[in-house]
Amino acid sequence: MNARALLLLLSLFVCHGSRAEAGVMDRLRGLLSFGPGRGKTEEQKKIMPRIRVGGFSGGTGTSAQQTLQKELIDSREFFVAGADEKADFTVEGTSIGGRVTGKLRDAKGKELFQRSYAAPGLDENLKALTDDVIYTITGRPGLATSRIVFVSDVTGKRQIYICDAEGGELHQVTHDKHAAVAPSLSPDSSMIAFTSYRSGFPIIRLLDLNVGWERGVTDTPGSSFGSAFSPDGTHLAAVMSFIGNPEIFVSDLNTNTAACVSDSVGAPSSPSWHPDGRQLVFSSDDGDGPKLYVVEVPQKEGQSSRLFRWRTGYHFCTDPEWSPDGRHIAFTTRTSGEWTVAIKPYPNGGVHVVQGGGAEHPSWSPNGHFITYVQHGELFVHDLRSGNRRSILRGHGHITEPRWMR
Amino acid sequence: MMNADQPKMNRPAAIRFSTFFSCLLLASCSSITMPSFLRSPASEAVVYALGPREGYTSPLNGSLKPACPALVFDNADFQLTAAHQQALHSLAQEMSTNKKARLLIAGYTRPNLPPDHARSLSERRALAVRQRLIELGLEAANVQTVGFGNDFSPSGPSSDVVVIYRQN
Repeated sequence: MNARALLLLLSLFVCHGSRAEAGVMDRLRGLLSFGPGRGKTEEQKKIMPRIRVGGFSGGTGTSAQQTLQKELIDSREFFVAGADEKADFTVEGTSIGGRVTGKLRDAKGKELFQRSYAAPGLDENLKALTDDVIYTITGRPGLATSRIVFVSDVTGKRQIYICDAEGGELHQVTHDKHAAVAPSLSPDSSMIAFTSYRSGFPIIRLLDLNVGWERGVTDTPGSSFGSAFSPDGTHLAAVMSFIGNPEIFVSDLNTNTAACVSDSVGAPSSPSWHPDGRQLVFSSDDGDGPKLYVVEVPQKEGQSSRLFRWRTGYHFCTDPEWSPDGRHIAFTTRTSGEWTVAIKPYPNGGVHVVQGGGAEHPSWSPNGHFITYVQHGELFVHDLRSGNRRSILRGHGHITEPRWMR
Repeated sequence: MMNADQPKMNRPAAIRFSTFFSCLLLASCSSITMPSFLRSPASEAVVYALGPREGYTSPLNGSLKPACPALVFDNADFQLTAAHQQALHSLAQEMSTNKKARLLIAGYTRPNLPPDHARSLSERRALAVRQRLIELGLEAANVQTVGFGNDFSPSGPSSDVVVIYRQN
């Protein structure tokens, strides 16, 4: 064997070895650290802002003050100080007949905002105020007004429902003749994209939650499913098969154009956007079980894009979703023969198993602190900082495909 | 370092593009950017785009007669087995007497698969069956596919099967 052949063999060995070890090393790292869980210790060490709920005048003022205090405690974003304790921020206001005016000040008394909330219910107004307080102080969206969409067969047919982050405010969104599945909420929560079987064939439709109008996005032969709104709400990624292969397409909702971004020989599904809107992660099964792939979304027509496999160390990976900060991807995998929700830092890092025992289809909360998933048809919210989880909806048929507002 | 490697590329040899482009209807899409493999030089297999779906009846909307026994797939596979090939060969021979007959190939999966993966897998299987039937002589425009995944389990088929329905 000459030196050149030896060098070639050696380089092949090194390449093969580095690929093969990726999964093993990920698992080892997973044993030594806990992915996002590791960050939680550091995060908890950070001192939480101290906020005091001051007086609320008006007929429903006392009730508003108590409810707001509870909302702020439940958010786990602040230490809620007592009346005599020092605070970094103070929120106060008025509440008359369920309407609320809230004012946020910092420790020096500088007014950060003053807003009025005139929705029909006191609770609704206080949730909106809570989210405004959280966003103003932390820069992250609050969850009090966020929504989770999901599919349930409680009526005997799979239909789409929506609820708040605590499982309350539950409403049926679709009332189709046949199934309505795979929902995705637009970033501003005003629209839902979903797969409708109304015509007997799976096509993607858009439903405006405010005015109630509905329109088809695709009516192509074959199947269309797995839609996901881009972070700015102007594009929709989805799987379509009209070209003879199922492929990931990106549709521009403003210009009514669509582009194929994948190059599959198998069965791609579940595209999810990076928060920068320039990449998609999706699952694709090329015959040996679904794996995760990342593709760059061309920003101009004719621009080339890179498509590569993103290794997790697991053989069966579906339903990937990028975290709101783009630093992690949650996905469904299989451990010990059961569905498992796991999180892996992107692009590299150890896999953190969030929940096994049949947990599947994770979706991140807008602030990235929680994920929702289903387990045996029950809807859960899992706190990634504490590791605690709670069932927010059970006994409502078999729940699948939850998606949190992004 | 990114733990990435090259994707498996699909480089079909030739697409009957001119015939089928008019059929690629996005209800509200005025133009379509071609996927890379449609622009690339021909090499391996021919992938036949789907024709218009107008006039096809879904099994959800009517009672359709299967053209042959359901094709059963093992686990997550979408490759055709020898048994599938034999059944499709028989069907193609039977269909050769009626060139205008149309078929709807519907894929289903077992219930315990992630729903979106199940949709894609069932559609992929249906497309594999369609591809083989076209290779056996059926007109591409007369064969449609649909992937139901496990969206209609348990009222619909609840196993990994492809059912080929005759259209009226």
